[in-house]
Amino acid sequence: MTWIQPTSVDAVVRARAENPEAIIVAGGTFLGILVRAGMLEADDWISLQDVRELTRLQSLGDLSIGAMVRHRRLELDEDVRGIWPGIAAAFRAVASPRVRNVATVGGVLADADYASDPPSMLVASRAVAEIASVRGSRRVPIEELITGHYSTCLEEDELITRVIVPRPQGPAVYRKLRTRSQEDRPSSSVAAVVHQGTVRVVVGAVSDRPHHFADLCATWRPGNEDSAREIGAGYAERIEYIDDNRGSAAYRRRVVAVEVRRALMQVSS
Amino acid sequence: MNTSTARARRDQDNNEGTGNARLRPGETSAVQGVNPRITAGIRYATDGGIPGEWHLRIIRSSVPAGRVTGFQTALLDDEIIFLTPDDVDAAGLPAFGCQIADQTVLTREPKFVGDAIAAVLAPTLAAARIAASLVEVSYERAPAVFDEMAAIAPDALLVHRSHATSESDSAYFDMRPQDGTNVCHRFRIRTAALQGRQEPNVITELDDSDTALADAFAQADVIIDEVFHTPAAAHVPMEPHATNAQWVEGRLEVVTGTQTPFNMRQDLAHIFGLAADDVRIVVPPMGGAFGAKTFIRTEAITALAARVSGRPVRCVLDRDEVFNEVTRHPSTVRIRLGAKADGTFVAKRIWAYVNTGAYADCGPGVAQKMGYAGVGPYRFEHVAVDSYCIYTNLPPGGAFRGYGAMQSVWASERAVDLLADRLGIDAVELRRQNLLREGDTFCTGEVMHDSHFEELLDDAASAVGWEKDGDRAGKGVAIMLKGMQTPSKAEARIQLLPDGRYEVQAGTADMGQGASEMLTRLAAEYLKCDVDQIVVCTPDTDRVPYDTRTTSSRSTHMMSRALADAAQDLLQHGTVGHGYVSNDGGLDPDTGQGVASSHWHQGSAAASLDVDEETGVITLRTLYASSYAGKVVNPHGADLQNEGSMILGLGSALFEELQFSDGQMTNPNLSDYNIASALDVVSISHKVMQIPGAEVHGLGETAVPPVPPAIGNAVASFGYHVTRLPMTPERVLAAAPSHEQASPPVGHIQGEEGA
Repeated sequence: MTWIQPTSVDAVVRARAENPEAIIVAGGTFLGILVRAGMLEADDWISLQDVRELTRLQSLGDLSIGAMVRHRRLELDEDVRGIWPGIAAAFRAVASPRVRNVATVGGVLADADYASDPPSMLVASRAVAEIASVRGSRRVPIEELITGHYSTCLEEDELITRVIVPRPQGPAVYRKLRTRSQEDRPSSSVAAVVHQGTVRVVVGAVSDRPHHFADLCATWRPGNEDSAREIGAGYAERIEYIDDNRGSAAYRRRVVAVEVRRALMQVSS
Repeated sequence: MNTSTARARRDQDNNEGTGNARLRPGETSAVQGVNPRITAGIRYATDGGIPGEWHLRIIRSSVPAGRVTGFQTALLDDEIIFLTPDDVDAAGLPAFGCQIADQTVLTREPKFVGDAIAAVLAPTLAAARIAASLVEVSYERAPAVFDEMAAIAPDALLVHRSHATSESDSAYFDMRPQDGTNVCHRFRIRTAALQGRQEPNVITELDDSDTALADAFAQADVIIDEVFHTPAAAHVPMEPHATNAQWVEGRLEVVTGTQTPFNMRQDLAHIFGLAADDVRIVVPPMGGAFGAKTFIRTEAITALAARVSGRPVRCVLDRDEVFNEVTRHPSTVRIRLGAKADGTFVAKRIWAYVNTGAYADCGPGVAQKMGYAGVGPYRFEHVAVDSYCIYTNLPPGGAFRGYGAMQSVWASERAVDLLADRLGIDAVELRRQNLLREGDTFCTGEVMHDSHFEELLDDAASAVGWEKDGDRAGKGVAIMLKGMQTPSKAEARIQLLPDGRYEVQAGTADMGQGASEMLTRLAAEYLKCDVDQIVVCTPDTDRVPYDTRTTSSRSTHMMSRALADAAQDLLQHGTVGHGYVSNDGGLDPDTGQGVASSHWHQGSAAASLDVDEETGVITLRTLYASSYAGKVVNPHGADLQNEGSMILGLGSALFEELQFSDGQMTNPNLSDYNIASALDVVSISHKVMQIPGAEVHGLGETAVPPVPPAIGNAVASFGYHVTRLPMTPERVLAAAPSHEQASPPVGHIQGEEGA
C-alpha cells in the first residue's frame, strides 16, 4: 500500500492523473467506515491532509469554502453563522462534534451519500463546486454534481477544490428530521432559501439525490399556509422514496409534505 | 430516609457514602487520580498479550438452517491451519451449553446466519482474514423459522431434534423441555387455587381462550387483554469479545473478557475432558459487557485451535460478529389483567413467548425471570404465567441488561395504564391501591421485605408533576420489581501482603461498572484503612475463590457480605481472611412457587414528553428513574449505574432494534444500528434511593425495565397505543387514534415554526 501526501492541488491532480485508481482521502469519516467494513480496498491512497490551500475559508464576497474545510469550522465561524446561517445549520446538524471535527466539505460532496445533511442546503443555496484536474478547472452547480447514489459527475482525474456559495439575500432554514438517535443521519433533510423574493426548497436524504422543483417553488406565496401546504404536497408526490432504517418510503412521503410546509412557513417569518 | 438526588449530591462538597474517602463526583477512582479507563491505562483482553500468538478467524454460516456439504480450501497457503467439525469430532468434544447442552464447538448443521462452521488460524490477523475469505462453503439449505409464534405453532419445523439439559452449574433449576416442539423450557406460575388442573402443555395461539383457568377472572368487572412485542437488541460493548488461549503442560489457560469465569472454567473443563483445576481463566477488565460476555462465546474454539496448533491463539471478533454473537431475546408477551370496578386487582395471566434463537444459552433463565417480573409488584388473588423459551433460526438470545424483566415490564405496565383508562381511575392511584407492601405475599409465595414501592412510585410521579386526577397529557409512570440470581454463592479472600497492603481476591469481574472500585472501598471500610492500602487482583480462577458470576446485579449485594466476612476473619486470624455467603432458593418450574430472589430490585420511572402529531416524533421533556439501592457504596458510581440503565432503556424505548431479512441481520454496525448518544440524554434525571443501615441492594439494571413503559404510557396519554418496541415515529403515527373518534388529542406540539 502506498500513501501519497502531496502539499499542493497541482501535485494532487498530477498524482491522480498518473494513477486514476488511487483513492483520494480527505477527512476519512466515510472511507474509514467502508474500509473497516471490508467494502473498499485500494493499493494507493492520496491524502489531502497536507494541502494547506484547500483549508481556506473566505467570506468577503461570496463564501468560498476550501474542500478540506471541516464541518465544525462552518458550524462555528462567525461570518458563516451571521451571513449564511442556513449553511452553518446544515453542517451543525451532522452527527457529533467528533465527526464534524474531521469531516470535510469536499468529502461530503464527493461521497454523494444520500443520507448526508449538507447537500440539500448547498443546492438550495445555489452553491457551485470548483473542480480541478491536469486539464484545467471547471465549475459545476451542486445539483448537477450529485447524480445519484454515491455517484457524481466527477471525471476520474478530477478533484473538488472548493465550494462557492453566493451571499444570500433572504432567510434560510434547514430542517432535519431525526427518527432515531440525535446523532443519526436525517430521515428527511429539507432546506429552504429565499433569494430576491423567490424560494428554493430542496429535499434530501429521502431518495438517491437532493430534489428541487422550481415550478412548485414558483407558486409560493410567502406566509400563506395553503401555499406552503400545496408545495409540500407537490414535493411529497413527485419524489420517488427509498426505505431504510430511518423510515419507510410511505413515512417519508408523509413527513416530507409536513417538513416542506414547515420550512416554508419558517422562511416567511 | 436519605434520598438526595444526583443533582443535590453534585452540589455537596463530599459524599454521604462510606466516609472513608472524600471523593468528589468525577473522581471516579477510589485510588486517587484519573480513571485509567479514560487514560487508556488498562490492558483489555482485546489488547492481546501472549507472545507468539496466532490469529483465529471464524468462518460462519451464510444460511439460517441446513447442512454444510463441503469446504473448498485449495487456495489456502500451506501454513494456514483449517479447523472443521471433523476436528471437533476427532478431539471428542461433547455438546455443551450453560442450561441446555445444544451447542458444538463447530457445527456442520448451522442453525442461524453466523453460526460457527469452521475456522482458520494464521500467524497474522491479515493472513487469517485473507484465508477466511478464500474458503468456499457449500450447503444444503433447509427451511427455517424466525418468529417465536411461528416456531411454537403445532406444525412448526424443529430447530433441534431433541432436548438435553446441561450438567453445568448454570442450569440452576429444573428444565421443562416440551418434546416434539421448539420449546426448550417452559416456566409456569400457578397460585394455590389454580394448581393441579388439566391444561394443554403449550398454548400456541395469542387469542387462546384459556378455558382451564378462566375462572380466575370470575370476580373481575373489567379485563384488559393485550399483546406486546419487543425486538432483538444489541449489547454494543465497546470492547469486542476477545480471547487468548494456550495450553501449558496439559493445562488450559485462557485470558478472556467474561462475566462468568467460574462457569467458563467448568464448561471448558467439560468440553475438553479436564478437571476444573486444569483450566485457568484470567479476566482482565472488560470494555463493557451488558450480558454479552457470559458463558462460552469465543473461548472453546480458541482453546481448540490452541490445542491443535500447539501455539497460543487469539480471537477477537469484528463488530458485525459481536452483533451476531448474542442478542436480547425478541419477545411476544400477552397480558390479561382483571380488576374490580373499584380498582382492586383480581387476577393476572401472562403468556411470554421468548425467542431464544438457535441455541438456548441462558434463555430458560431469561424466560423464568420474564415470567415473574411481568406480574409486577402488585397483590393478586390469582396469578398464572406461562413463559416459553423457544428455538428459532435467529442468532442466540442471551443475558442482556434487564434480563427478561424489560420485555415483560414493558407489557405489564402498559396494561396497567390501559386498565386505569378503562376504569377511569388515575394511573398512579390505581398502582398505589394494589402495590405490594411490607409483609404482603408475592405470586411465588414469598413474603415481601424491605419493600419501597410506594415511595418509588410517589417519587417518580412527583418528578413529572403528576397531580391526582389532573391533566396527565404527555405524562407516564411505571414501576417494577426484578429478581436477583437465586441461588448463588460468593466467596472472597483478603491477604495481607509483605508491604503491609491488603490484596482482595474475588471473582467479581470489572466490566466498567466499578467492581474493583467497590471492592476497594468496602475492603478499606471493613479493614479501617485507607483506600490506597487496598489492592484488588484480577479475577483469576487460580488465585481467587469461587463466585457464581458477575451478572443479575448481584455482585455488590453478594460480594460485599463475603468481603465483610473475609475482613472480619482476617482481623481475627492474622494474614489471610476468608468469607463466604450463599443465597438459597429457586422456583418450582411447574408452579412458580418458592424463592425467586433473595432480595428485590425495585424501581420506578416517569416520563414527560411531547408527540409531534404530524411526524410522530417523540420529544422527551423529562425522563426520570428512581431506584432503591439500600446502602450505597460509591455514590458517584451508583449515579452512573442508574443513568446507564436509563440510557439503555431509552434506546430500547425509542430506536434500538436489530433487523433481519431471511434470518440475516441487516444492521450489524453502529451506523445502521443506533444507540443513545449524549444529545439523547439531556432530559435524564434520577434518584438512587438509600436508607441508612439498610443492606446493599443491586443497582446495575434496575432502571432499565421501567423506562420503556413510562415513555409508552406518556405517549398513550395522547391516544397513541403503541404495542411494539421501539416506539419509532412511524409506529407512533400508525397507532394514532382513529379519525372517527371525537376531538383530537390535546397537548401536541405542531413542530417549531419560527427560527
